Amino acid sequence: MPKIQVMDPKEIRKSGFITFSDIPVNQYKKTVKDEKEASQGAADSGFKDDDFVRIYKDMAIIREFESMLYSIKTTNVYNGVEYNNPGPAHLSLGQEASAVGQAYLLDENDFIFGSHRSHGEILAKGLSCIHKMDEKTLQGIMEEFFGGAILKVVEDKQKDVKELAVDFLVYGALAEIFARETGFNKGLGGSMHAFFTPFGIYPNNAIVGGSGTIAMGSALFKKVNKKKGIVISNIGDASMGCGPVWEALNMAAMDQYTQLWEEGYKGGLPIIFNFFNNLYGMGGQTIGETMGYNMLARVGAGVNPEQMYSERVDGFNPLAVIDAMRRKMELIKSGKAPVFLDTVTYRFTGHSPSDSGSYRTKEEVELWQEQDSLVVYGKELVDAGVCGQDRLDNIQAYVKDLMTKTCKLSIDDNLSPRIKPEEVGKLMFSNINIAKLEDLDPSSAPQSVDVLQTKEENPRVQQIAKKVRFAYDENGKPVSKIKQYQLRDGIFEAVLDKFYTDPTLVAYGEDNRDWGGAFAVYRGLTEALPYHRFFNSPISEAAIVGSAVGYALSGGRAIVELMYSDFIGRAGDEVFNQLSKWQSMSAGVLRMPVVLRVSVGSKYGAQHSQDWTSLIAHIPGLKCVFPATPYDAKGLMNSALSGTDPVVFFESQRIYDIGEQFVKTGVPEGYYEIPIGEPDVKVQGSDITILTIGATLYPALEAVKILKDNFGISAELIDARSIVPFNFDKVLESVKKTGCILLASDACERGSHIKDFAQTITELAFDYLDAPPVTVGSRNWITPAYELEDYFFPQPDRIIDAIHQKIMPLDGHVPKNNFTEIEQLRRSREGV
Amino acid sequence: MATAVIMPRQGQSVESCLIGKWYKNKGDKVSAGDLLFTYETDKATFEEESKVDGILLEVFFEEGDDVQCLVNVCVIGSEGESVEEFRPVSASDSNGGQAAGQEDGSFVASAGQGDGSFVTSAGQGDGSLVSSAGLRDRSPVVSVRQGDGSPVAISPRARKLAAKTKADLRYAVPTGAGGRITERDVQAVLSEGYRSSSGDVGAVNIGTAGALRSAGALRSAGDAGGAAVSPQVDYAKLYDGKAEIAPLSNIRKFIAKAMLDSLSNSAQLTSHSSFDATDIFAYREKLKSSPESGVSSGGKTSITVTDIIIYAVSRVIIRPEHKSLNAHFLGDSLAVFNNAHIGVAVDTPRGLLVPTIFDANTMTLPELSAHTKELFDKCKQGSAPPDLLKGASFTISNLGSLGVEIFTPILNPPQTGILGVCNVIERLKNGKPYPALGLSLTYDHQAMDGADSARFLRDLIVYLESFTANLEA
Repeated sequence: MPKIQVMDPKEIRKSGFITFSDIPVNQYKKTVKDEKEASQGAADSGFKDDDFVRIYKDMAIIREFESMLYSIKTTNVYNGVEYNNPGPAHLSLGQEASAVGQAYLLDENDFIFGSHRSHGEILAKGLSCIHKMDEKTLQGIMEEFFGGAILKVVEDKQKDVKELAVDFLVYGALAEIFARETGFNKGLGGSMHAFFTPFGIYPNNAIVGGSGTIAMGSALFKKVNKKKGIVISNIGDASMGCGPVWEALNMAAMDQYTQLWEEGYKGGLPIIFNFFNNLYGMGGQTIGETMGYNMLARVGAGVNPEQMYSERVDGFNPLAVIDAMRRKMELIKSGKAPVFLDTVTYRFTGHSPSDSGSYRTKEEVELWQEQDSLVVYGKELVDAGVCGQDRLDNIQAYVKDLMTKTCKLSIDDNLSPRIKPEEVGKLMFSNINIAKLEDLDPSSAPQSVDVLQTKEENPRVQQIAKKVRFAYDENGKPVSKIKQYQLRDGIFEAVLDKFYTDPTLVAYGEDNRDWGGAFAVYRGLTEALPYHRFFNSPISEAAIVGSAVGYALSGGRAIVELMYSDFIGRAGDEVFNQLSKWQSMSAGVLRMPVVLRVSVGSKYGAQHSQDWTSLIAHIPGLKCVFPATPYDAKGLMNSALSGTDPVVFFESQRIYDIGEQFVKTGVPEGYYEIPIGEPDVKVQGSDITILTIGATLYPALEAVKILKDNFGISAELIDARSIVPFNFDKVLESVKKTGCILLASDACERGSHIKDFAQTITELAFDYLDAPPVTVGSRNWITPAYELEDYFFPQPDRIIDAIHQKIMPLDGHVPKNNFTEIEQLRRSREGV
Repeated sequence: MATAVIMPRQGQSVESCLIGKWYKNKGDKVSAGDLLFTYETDKATFEEESKVDGILLEVFFEEGDDVQCLVNVCVIGSEGESVEEFRPVSASDSNGGQAAGQEDGSFVASAGQGDGSFVTSAGQGDGSLVSSAGLRDRSPVVSVRQGDGSPVAISPRARKLAAKTKADLRYAVPTGAGGRITERDVQAVLSEGYRSSSGDVGAVNIGTAGALRSAGALRSAGDAGGAAVSPQVDYAKLYDGKAEIAPLSNIRKFIAKAMLDSLSNSAQLTSHSSFDATDIFAYREKLKSSPESGVSSGGKTSITVTDIIIYAVSRVIIRPEHKSLNAHFLGDSLAVFNNAHIGVAVDTPRGLLVPTIFDANTMTLPELSAHTKELFDKCKQGSAPPDLLKGASFTISNLGSLGVEIFTPILNPPQTGILGVCNVIERLKNGKPYPALGLSLTYDHQAMDGADSARFLRDLIVYLESFTANLEA
């Protein structure tokens, strides 16, 4: 909503036509012979004979690798080596030319992200990097990766480094597929997730289209931090049916990159959305059945006026793909991006080895096999006089030998052991505290971080300076709301501070810039930060979270926002499968310094008022916090922003304006951290413990007062602050003292995390309990209208009633809410 | 947190074991697997190994001690951790020897005390004092059940405390939600001294719902500060208007409980006899006609028959041969008093009260009479100091003035005897009528035999029949 861009009705309502330029379709028609002739006498970019042969060799390695897996999956034996591999194998037999063609020009600075069918891409990219890298660098990578654990298995003093590196690559990938600790990701990624970042091979993704948003975020990282190289999102044709892929296309092509971002940062994201179009999504035929585009390249044309430089490339011809890549990389270098590529190809085997092929005929497969790129390209090599058939035969013998040898190594339980199960637990979080992820290049940057003003010049900072940082004055009277330092100020201070500390930090989400976030947390950031560090995203929750994943695993730090907790659903895969899992699936190779801010609403009904902490807590690999005081909000945000783990940071719209009521010295102006995972005793007491999550602290605080004033009961009030991780020490200590506990949260009670807390407390303090732990959550209903919210969210009277009916009868108390067993059973029986 | 090592239970029938040998001393470092001590049943010797690492913080029993199964034997933990919460009650007593309150007169003497001090110290003296007899021969009941078959709810915290302290849950009045026995209910039981000998909560049979309810009704009275227990049964509805439901007064509830406790926890029986009251009547006549004696006013003597009997009892009961009646029965020992502290039942508008005439044997008859009168007046006015409503060593109850010919007074445990004074009946001796005053002596057969009690009655009768002579002697 930048005010400088006027939406002029004259312009908007003007009549006319949108015109498209032609989208090239398989325009490359050269053979090896043509290229060989063209290269003679040409500059460095031309092909040499060895280059042509290398292309064949790389294709042959992939072909044999996949054939080996096919043989093992279907017959449990390859070339006399017996093995049963129960894990998945989505093979790319037939697609070799497209992978090798794409990788031909790429080096380790170019990042590829793949799909479930990416063995060929891993090998092609790795082989291309090995070819381009000097031996010393290669040797260093192999020696350093996992302390040389993979190298040790394949090490052979007789071989030169490049030859050894090929063994290393093939073994690392296969050991990963066979779930060995000596695999590239210690066997925690497996066939569909294998990758190797030192060669610029980034996560492959078992969720169709999953790499779309992540690769886009990686490209954002390259652009914002001025990193070398491009990013390629290798996804399949069927992924065009996935919403997040569309979101990624759009977010990579936003107008603001060219119209609003600063000089030096202009142009779309440096990414190629490459669709390896093998015409099937599992069995669904994308042409003629499940999609409407007829030709996939058409879709790119609709994204932006540049039509995303979209074209269809013949993926059965490696030279055609190389040609397209050369042209597209040139475009990106000149700021013309993003790019859309429809690389047509075909897989000879099924979706997986269990595929019965019910959706296509044998005849169709044979039509494609007649054009098998390995055969056709090999023939072209011989025809063009690049090499004799004997050289090709030698290559065939070499790959057979390489695969046999690698296969034997990979299935040897001594050389290739499995990870100890307990080690997996150690990889769930990286738990590193690091103030900044990198420094700006001092030669190009005049300051340590890219900001527009000093902190002191910031209007919000000046406004906060006038505020009172504790909610009560010296007489115990509340300071007027407008003068109180609020929870939103605590978040702001922490975020602002990190922007001045970590040059890689970016923040984005819906209405972050200008508006300052829908709830004014970010008011003041617009003045402080350039566009490339702080911008508005499209209303694309999947892309917001997915891009943050890509940004972080590429080396940066991101704080992104979903305006409402309820919108987590829109980013379900990105939060539950991507943000949470890449640290552990990479065996600790990747880090995920992402803070995902989500806001719990009220007044806005059923789709804008849900506390979804429990959903987050259920997913392994996510940290989850929900501060309820300004002091905690600032301290926890500082911790979250200085960590390297994904933190879903819950905020409540009901208490953005709450002042600090507990820390009498007020919220410190300086930097401090509150460790994630530590609950806090807000009120000390001796008769009953009350544990709350998030904003429920305040109704519980009222209940504590009622208990004291009306019944003489001393309640201890504990704010969980964090949900994952969670240190039970203080809670158990309290329960051992009081003998009873009530847990309250705004989350719908069924499956709420307070139930999980209660169960753990029951186990760990059973002999100390005088009553079962009792939970008070929101009703298992839709959130009703604001006027009816009291019946839905936990209120003080509901807490009191629950105590009276389930823990300790309160003298003279007449309950209004029904906490009887009969009612509890009825609700469960009816699912409400 | 520190860990207690309990005396394991080697088989269901084993109640206690002897500590054989200690391999570790207090303060020693122990590791999991280290041998701590051996213990013996009547059939075998067992070894107890440490299950945790730490410091042996405290040892509650010595070699040769007989330790109840499941009772804490020692505590292992880190330097400086408190062991008090693990200290078994009997161990603290045997070590410290503080049978609290024995000397301070706070022992049981009277019913009608609303302050919960009724049996407190007696219970501390020995866990088995109050309830052992009633429980020892019961077969263990695994789960405590109410009359309708559903288990009586006991919170884990309450169960743990009860197991540690041997609180007798039969007396617990549930005040938790849904009728659950909670920690405070066990604490209330303990504060009133109800402990079971077995210490095994699982074996404590709360019995019928009725028993529980009656205990509950009793106790809720004394529990004035706590939350009132809502009645579990709607009696008004049950009686359907045919009877008016009159709630019991607090003192009534207390007496009810005390009486029931007495009957359920002692081996009491009553012997009846009578004596020739000619001499004491003659003595009173003599006083009437000799106002100068200083104990009469307005020509009416103030020396009552009760005074005379208190006086006589106080003189006879302190004789060494009758010590078992001037005593408290403590289960495995008797607390024998040097002086006679005679409790006397008084019918007051508030109900039965039993003030104590301390050191009655040291008072002259006029002194005793005056003191008794003063105490009775105070009781009737409701101004008797609580300290004078307990601490008796023997009790006298006079229903004779109301025409009762014979009755069976109920003991005030841990006292061992109570003397009922009946009315006067004319009887013939050698063909001549004489006033026979009936005496009913209830005694605890646990503390003495029938012959012992009979000898006391005989000596008392002899004393009373020659009262004047004895008075002047």
